[in-house]
Parts: sequence; structure tokens; C-alpha cells
Amino acid sequence: MLRADQTIMITSGADIARDSGRSDWIIGTDDQILVTGANGFIGSKVFETLLEYGFTRIRCFVRSNRNLSKLKQIAERLKAEVDFIEGNLLSRDDCLRAARDVSLIYHLAAGTGKSFAHCFMNSAVATRNLLDATLKETKLRRFLSVSSLAVYSGFQIRHGDLINETCPIESEHMARFDPYCYGKVKQDEMVMAYSREHGVPYVIIRPGPVYGPGKKALTGRVGLDTFGIFLHLGGSNRLPLIFVDNCAEAIVLSGIVEGMDGEVFIAVDDDLPTSREFLRLYKKNVGHFPSIYLPYPIFYFLNWLWEKYSNWSEGQLPPVFNRRSCATYYQKQIYSNRKLKELTGWSPRVPFKEASRLYFEFMKDGRRER
Amino acid sequence: MRGSEIVGVCDQEELMAGQLAERYGIKHHFSDVEVFLKSSQPDVVHITTPPQSHYSLAKQCLEAGCNIYVEKPFTLSYEEAKELICIAEREDKKLTVGHETQFMPVARDMRRLINAGYLGGAPVHMESIYGYEFSEEQFAKAVLGDRRHWVRRLPGGLLQNIISHGIGKIAEYLQDDKVTVLARGFTSHFLENIEETDIIDELRVIISDSHRTSAYFTFSSQISPSLHQFRVYGPKNSLIADHEHQTLIKVPKKSYVSFLNQFIPPFADAKQYFSNGCRNIKRFLRNDFHADSGMYFLINSFYKSQTDNAPLPIPYREILLTARIMDAIFFQLNELGNKNYTN
Repeated sequence: MLRADQTIMITSGADIARDSGRSDWIIGTDDQILVTGANGFIGSKVFETLLEYGFTRIRCFVRSNRNLSKLKQIAERLKAEVDFIEGNLLSRDDCLRAARDVSLIYHLAAGTGKSFAHCFMNSAVATRNLLDATLKETKLRRFLSVSSLAVYSGFQIRHGDLINETCPIESEHMARFDPYCYGKVKQDEMVMAYSREHGVPYVIIRPGPVYGPGKKALTGRVGLDTFGIFLHLGGSNRLPLIFVDNCAEAIVLSGIVEGMDGEVFIAVDDDLPTSREFLRLYKKNVGHFPSIYLPYPIFYFLNWLWEKYSNWSEGQLPPVFNRRSCATYYQKQIYSNRKLKELTGWSPRVPFKEASRLYFEFMKDGRRER
Repeated sequence: MRGSEIVGVCDQEELMAGQLAERYGIKHHFSDVEVFLKSSQPDVVHITTPPQSHYSLAKQCLEAGCNIYVEKPFTLSYEEAKELICIAEREDKKLTVGHETQFMPVARDMRRLINAGYLGGAPVHMESIYGYEFSEEQFAKAVLGDRRHWVRRLPGGLLQNIISHGIGKIAEYLQDDKVTVLARGFTSHFLENIEETDIIDELRVIISDSHRTSAYFTFSSQISPSLHQFRVYGPKNSLIADHEHQTLIKVPKKSYVSFLNQFIPPFADAKQYFSNGCRNIKRFLRNDFHADSGMYFLINSFYKSQTDNAPLPIPYREILLTARIMDAIFFQLNELGNKNYTN
């Protein structure tokens, strides 16, 4: 659901960026841009933001031509030359078609789900195919790869530490048992390898959990409803959220601002609530549901027990709950967006108060419909 | 699996083979099956590729001197299945198909009772219900999200990739191979509404053999909750296996006087469900209730057929009969299509 007030906010953000930063951009507004995963939750907003920034030649790569009406309407409204390509990044031919003559690639398509092979294939293999396709393209100025905060290993970071782009990346994937994290780590490695070996100019951006109208679930960093009742696990942790419009703008700027090649950015909003505050607001604005708060040490201990049992039983219960995952998502840590702000000039245009209002309204409408 | 070692993994996409080898600490990975067979010389090859390549890969592996475990569906046609079995017999090698649901604890209990004569004779009728959820399964999302997905390119489409699980259960208990098959398939409203009219996701089949044992097979993406049941009706008693909940309910021929016939059986059924629940908990506590325990049992039995000369877990007759029934279903669906149903 697109609201008029959202559009106005983006436009004003874009205007500021356009006025201030045009000379710093690595491409012109009439250069060809490719957006993969363009009809996804973040992809559609990136597409919209690019149009608002004045870019006129955008190629949207989508898995299926379904649900394109929203993108087409936006393109029509802004009179942009938009090229929709239906395909699969696992097909090298599709990748060649997609990458033809592009100056900038926003690679948002990703593998999600519970299977390691699936996540790896749709993240790392798909990215490799796209990177291969770009090797023959002489105009490519940057490959912007969207990663995730999930790649960091909270297990190797102390309680209360500040997490920035230099923090350790997860390496024990079978212990962490997080296929999405595995896929994203391998995707990042692939991008960096192509830069080293073939000189592909890249930027990697790692947004926190993205929320906003269109996102149908509460982020798992607040808690889990796996066991029938909602377990609130985040407590007083500052949630590393980013509103979808802010995220889209961070992605767009990381792609176009000059001098960013080889950089990795963490993208989170500024005025973030604690998990407890967010849950309280959610219940107040969307609807009440029972929840139990489980302090971090207790949940960590339960994860340890689960992990032990999983090992002992040879996977009768798979190690979906484990200390690594618990430490990454629920240990008190603060994520820094300083580098992103300093280097790209990005700042979150939509403050939390407004962002949460839009999100809660969307969730409330969805709940009413259900 | 104890007593066995994974000597190598192979995938046309080297990155995929590499990630599997990396995650499980397997020493060698390959992207060329010929190189893999020559350098690793495995005793058994597990073929888990899309079904379009099952026949050629299985043939290559058998001829290279390997026993083969082929994921379902075994092949694309009865002819291919027959040829592979001929090659296996000629090469003195063994093969099986990944119909692991037939080896889940509940299916094994059912087989034990039927073999012990619980039905009181050959099955009179069977009902196999296989539910499928588009909304939740990651695989279904992949198929719907990609118009060129390999599942869509199978001659029997989505159905061909799945229904052998349900058809295999029926084939096991049919009395002979002279079967008559009557199939009707159609696209659900759900798929129609999202313009996926080329996928048949609702299937009803009537099967009978020359001994007049009959069966209904139902595949549905729209029945909610999604059911995975197998019912076998005998001349004396019947059995109902619920694969989703791992319960096996006996339906004995027992009648009580007057209203007692309505009072006692419900409690007897409740007692059976309670016992099933307790048995499942016991199995879990004994560490014998893994989600893939059917596959483990099947693979273990297949390996034993090679090391101890034990019988094959799935007789070749059953593999061929399953392929023959599926051929008949897809022939009718492709010939008659949806039109016949709507007319």
C-alpha cells in the first residue's frame, strides 16, 4: 500500500540529495541502471527512490512478471523509461540480458528460506552469474550488493560492544545454522573475489531488519512466537532497524556517490527504540497479544541446552536454537551507521515516530483484513 | 550413516558441489560426473538431480559399476524405469528410489500388521491422500516464481515431481500389474486467480487391478489442513495411517449391542490415539524419531541389500508399477486436459 504522505517524504529527501550531491555521482541520470529483485519489499522502494532522484533509464530484473502493476504505475507517473526483464539469475543468458550496457547494478535479489543449498544458490551462485555477465560490460561503474547485518558473528563480540563494519563475520556456519547468513556471507565473499581478480568496482551495504508498510511480520530481533506464545527476547537492546524508505535511500546513495568503491556499510536508522519500547508501541497501535519476557542469560542457557541435545541426538531436533545465533540476535550490541553517514552523506529522512506510525497502520490494516 | 563414507559430491555447478563439501567436510567435489566416477569409484551413487537427468545419470553410474539410489520420481516414464532395471540386473548392481515416506515409523507399523494378516485377506480398497501447500513450502514458491522452473518442464508438471510418494503406497499393495487407471486433473481457483493456469494442482485418480483391489488417489493443494493419509480397507479389518501425525489407527470389525455400538468405539478410538501419542513420545525419547527417519531407514536397508544380501527395500515390481500408473495418469491429463473435466 503506497501512501501519499510517504511519496512526499521521499520526494523531499530526493530533492535534498539531488540539489546537494549531483556532482558527486558516478553516473549521469540517463545512464542505464539495473535493479535485481526490483519487485521485492526493498527493491520496489529502491526503484521508486531512483526515479525520484531523477534517473530515467532503469532496468528491473524480476523472477516473475506478477505484481508489477505498482512498479509500472510509479514509472508511468514519473515518465521514466523502465525496462522489465523476467528471468532467473541462475541462468547465465538471463544475466547477460540483464547486464547489457548497464552502468550501475543494484543487486537486491537474494535467497531466503531454511535450506542452506537454496540460500547459497540464490545468493552466491546468482551473484557469481551476474558478476560474470558484467565482465564484458565496459560501462559498469559500480556493483552495489545488498547484504545483511546477519553476517556478523555476535558470538565473537562482547556484550554491549559497538558493531561496525570491521567486526568479525560469521565463519562457523553449521554451528550458527542460519542458511540466510551463510548465503549472504558467501555472496559478499564472491563480490570481493571478483573485485580482487577482475577489478569489478563494488560496494556492499548491510542493512538491519527493514520494516515499513509491506513488511508483514514483526522482526525476529524483538522475539519469537515459535512456541505458541510470544517470547520477548530483545529486552532493553536497541533494535538495529531501518525504515524501508531510509534503507532504499541508503542503498541508492551507496551506489551513486563517488569514491565509495570497495567500501562496506552498515545501514541502520538513528533514533532507534529498544526492543521493549518497540513491542509496547506495537501492541498499543496494532493490537494486544500475550508475551513473556525471557532475559538474555536464560535464553542463552536454553540455547546451549538445545545445542547439546541436538548434537547428542544427531539432529533429532536440528540446532536452529544455538548460542551463536542467540548472541548475534539478542545480545546487547549497538550498530553504528557512522561510516555510511560520513562517506555518503546519507541520513534517515523518515524519523522513527513517523516510520513506526506508517508501519503500525499497515500492520493494523492487515490484521483487520485477516 | 555408520559404516559408510561420503567419498565425493558432484554437481554440474561446481560452486554447489563445493559448498556441500565445505559444510560437511567432504574431501572431494566434482562438476563432471565422469571424472567423479573414475576418481572416487563409489559403491553407491545417490542421484538427487532434477528428474529429467535421472535416466542418463543412473545409466552412466550403473555402467560404471555403482549401485544407485535415485530420488523420486524414479524416471520420466515406465520405459526408462524398465530399462534401468534391466541394466542393473545385467550389471549385477542394485537400485532403489527415494520413496522415504513408505519407511516412516507409521508406514513400517502398517506394513507389519498387513503382512501379519490384520486385514483378513488382500486389501479390498485403498485411499491415498497427498496434500500440498503452495503458501508455505519454499519449493512451491520457487516453482510459482519461475515460469521456466524445471518442475514446470516435466511431462507431468508439478504432479510428476510429487505424486509418486502417494502412488507408491498404493502400488505396494496392489495384487497384480494389470491396472486400470482413471484420472482427472484440474487447476485450482487459487492458481487460476494468480494466472497460473498451466499448472494442474488438483488430481483425482481411480485405480484397480485384475483382482479387483481398487484405490483412490487424491492430490490437492487446496484441502486444508494439508493431509497425508493412507487408508487400507480389508475384508475383515481396516487401517488408517496418518503420515502427518504419525498415527496408525486400527479399524477392527467389532460390533456391540444396541447403543453400545455408539458408546464404546469412540472411547476405543480415543485410546488408540492416546497410545499413538505415547508411542511417538517414546520414540522421540529413544532418539528414534528424526524428521528424516524414513529416508534413513530406506538408505540403511538399501545398503544392507548390498552388504548383507538382504532383500531390496522396494521391489522392482513396485517401482515399475508406480511408473506405469503415473504414465497412465499423465497420458490422460495431457490427452484430455482440463477440458474434459469442465465439460
